[in-house]
Amino acid sequence: MITDLQRVRNIGISAHIDSGKTTLTERILYYTKRIRVAHDVKGKDGVGAKMDFMDLERERGITIQSAATHCEWQSHHINIIDTPGHVDFTIEVERSLRVLDGAILVLCAVAGVQSQSMTVDRQMRRYNVPRLAFVNKADRSGANPYRVTEQLREKLRLNAVLMQIPIGLEASFEGCIDLATMKAHYFDGDNGEIRRVEEIPDALKAEAEARRHEMLDAISLFSDELTEAILDERVTEDLIHAAVRKGTIALQLVPVFIGSAYKNKAVQLLLDAVTRYLPAPNEVTNEAIDLEKGDTKVTLTSDPKADMVALAFKLEEGRFGQLTYIRIYQGSVRKGDEIVNGRTGRGVKVGRLVRMHADEMEDISDAGAGDIVALFGIDCASGDTFTSNRIRVAMTSIHVPDPVIHLRVKPKDKKAQGNLSKALGRFTKEDPTFHARVDEESGETIISGMGELHLDVYVERMKREYNAEVETGAPQVAYREAISRKAEFNYTHKKQTGGAGQYGRVGGYVEPLEVGDFEFVNEVYGGSIPNEFITSVEKGFRACLKKGRMIGFPVTGFRVVLNDGAAHSVDSSDNAFQAAGRGAFRDVYHRAKPQILEPIMKVSIEGPTEFQGAFVRTVMQRRGIIVGTTETEGFVRVDSEVPLGEMFGYSTDLRSSSQGKAEYTMEFAKYAPVPAEVSKDLIEKYGTGLDEEE
Amino acid sequence: MYAKELNERSPMRLFEQSIHGGLGPGNIGVVVARKGVGKTAFLVGVALDDLMRGRRVLHVALEQPVEKVREHYDEIFTDLARTAHLEDIATARLEMERHRNIHTYVNHTFSVERLREAVGFLRAHVHFEPIAAIIIEGYPFESASPAELEALREMAREQKAELWMSAVTHRDAPRNERGIPEPVARVEGAVSVIVSMAHDGKAVHVRLLKDHENPDVSELSIALDPTTMLLKQE
Repeated sequence: MITDLQRVRNIGISAHIDSGKTTLTERILYYTKRIRVAHDVKGKDGVGAKMDFMDLERERGITIQSAATHCEWQSHHINIIDTPGHVDFTIEVERSLRVLDGAILVLCAVAGVQSQSMTVDRQMRRYNVPRLAFVNKADRSGANPYRVTEQLREKLRLNAVLMQIPIGLEASFEGCIDLATMKAHYFDGDNGEIRRVEEIPDALKAEAEARRHEMLDAISLFSDELTEAILDERVTEDLIHAAVRKGTIALQLVPVFIGSAYKNKAVQLLLDAVTRYLPAPNEVTNEAIDLEKGDTKVTLTSDPKADMVALAFKLEEGRFGQLTYIRIYQGSVRKGDEIVNGRTGRGVKVGRLVRMHADEMEDISDAGAGDIVALFGIDCASGDTFTSNRIRVAMTSIHVPDPVIHLRVKPKDKKAQGNLSKALGRFTKEDPTFHARVDEESGETIISGMGELHLDVYVERMKREYNAEVETGAPQVAYREAISRKAEFNYTHKKQTGGAGQYGRVGGYVEPLEVGDFEFVNEVYGGSIPNEFITSVEKGFRACLKKGRMIGFPVTGFRVVLNDGAAHSVDSSDNAFQAAGRGAFRDVYHRAKPQILEPIMKVSIEGPTEFQGAFVRTVMQRRGIIVGTTETEGFVRVDSEVPLGEMFGYSTDLRSSSQGKAEYTMEFAKYAPVPAEVSKDLIEKYGTGLDEEE
Repeated sequence: MYAKELNERSPMRLFEQSIHGGLGPGNIGVVVARKGVGKTAFLVGVALDDLMRGRRVLHVALEQPVEKVREHYDEIFTDLARTAHLEDIATARLEMERHRNIHTYVNHTFSVERLREAVGFLRAHVHFEPIAAIIIEGYPFESASPAELEALREMAREQKAELWMSAVTHRDAPRNERGIPEPVARVEGAVSVIVSMAHDGKAVHVRLLKDHENPDVSELSIALDPTTMLLKQE
């Protein structure tokens, strides 16, 4: 067990898709001797970089994509947690961010801060993750780390401070000058593994002095001792490190490093910075919800002797069964321990405990707070909390958004049928934003998720990993219905068809509910409806919510207050009151002014200013709203909100209207009412026959 | 009207009574305060007052990203909607967002000419017209020339829009004989209305420093709720 928590770092590497995250991870593993050969990149001119990204993922799936990889650097244990890039997988990114104590934000020295970097940064901000910035690809033509640092300050509002300056740039990029030690660092050998430290070249001395001044000025805010030392001109390396560390952990400073992973330059300096400036697990406050004390928050301690609390943040199917990655927040886990899954309340025995390395796993007997390890053969879902059986807490539940899009899938043959259900079982467990169900009416399988691409990826994975080829229908938007005003009901259900009759009268009102799907309030006093039938009324209402009466989609935000009614001593029954509830719903629904709600996506488009008109046009054509525009030299970013139903085929449209020079990101924003004319179309399309249904 | 109560509690009502005829189209109004008093919230309040009547507002920010400006609107709108018990909040919000456009300039790329182009662009491509108010936040008054302010006023006139701006002042900033602090005093000529804001720990106090060409500025001093920037309810 690792007991010296000061020497543990749990970090993530986040980046825009082409910033070189894969190459950087590969180099880190190489320098820390976790892999023996740095991956040979094909296409030496750099054109192959994108190909390489894909190839690497496929060939070395477990190396790079594995949820957590462990390596060692200068007697520090570094757990690198994978953070998937695309916004469609926000829930996965967010879950990963929760288990991180710090992160490296990788930026391309040419492209700088891109839309994706902004999304990732926003998420890190939300989870209070301290970060370092690594300006990669300093060898590329057009590289300008100074501009990128400026963008970090301007676009992301980060207090970004350069800790290094480059020696040469673009093709002549040789190494870095470390502004803390004022030494020039070079990287020799085939893979840059030989570090050479020299005096600063004369030509760069003045520049280095000036930048060091700027750096000291910025970091002196975090240390009075350093401020004094600056005045007395006796600044030491240690004082600088302490001040940078303090500012970084307090989330008030982002130190910036420069290098080129592809050219094997300066990655080691970045690793030094990870151990120096990012926090150890016991320097971060983690909270859990105490389930026994009415959901109050408790702060966890990193004491290995305390009661154990761990979060399962990622599942992976290995050759030998399910591998569950956990982060231990408090206490410790031993092989053979009995631990409890907080969601199911079931106890499970820890059979095998492993630490994941780059390309193999190592069996270990125990692991303590702050560590990231994997359990073997334990049945659970992503996001479950495990505890020792003495306490009942849950790691703060992450808000899981409802799916916004559905897709019908049909297996191509018998064999695919069986494989499909296996695949769906796995995916729904791994990803809480991915759902699968069988439609009661058509018998078809319907998968749901957070966007077109999200579902595309799963369809692809079905084929590749499970050999389940499927045919897909057209994606369908997950509409909803909701009432917009209060309306009263007074409904009597009465049937007399010989034999026992049915009788039940219900009175009250319905109104929009701000938070949540459904609320039922009983305000019947004096027993005008016998107690046992109150739940029958609720059941009756509830049954109607699955299918709204406008277009047959689920009804949300619905509050019922039942305050009056009548019963008959013989003819009233559970059935009669359920029918009364359903009848009241049918009766009151239209009077409560129902609206159709549609998912609205936040769409950010970025590209050269000359295409601004085209960007806006693509949004306007899709019933979108332009929220805002950000202008900077030569570039423009348009933030908009567009209904998901209008976004199909968007990438093709944007590509052709911007000559391929624009890019966009999309994530779910909210549900909002559809305009009247669209509402009419939708009712024509889906709404027929709803009124006749009982 | 759903937005009625909101507008009744807007500080703009008191202003309209005290300022002769309000700010008026084609004029520049400046809210001046020290950092952190809530100038943005005040300007958002000004904007919401127009938005809630279905008028268009262009919000220009020179320092904050779009996302941040938006958060200010969301926060204040949500507070307003809650206190005013708005019926059908979702639709009201959608209407508000349709009438609002945020434009930000990063890396010091702002100029009057660029703003004029942006307005023209909105008109041509987004049918965003007429614009009732333009809000400019983070404008560097220290380095502004009276000529540039005149150019901004000219633009406001072309658009027939009210132009509201914010200016940061300091504790020790010099004031002219009418109590107007730097850096606004030196460009006062182009500005029609100037109000100052100060925080006393409980409420934000707003004072009128300049009211068009009116020599005796009426003794307007009102207290606002520091989070919503609405009139304090007694």
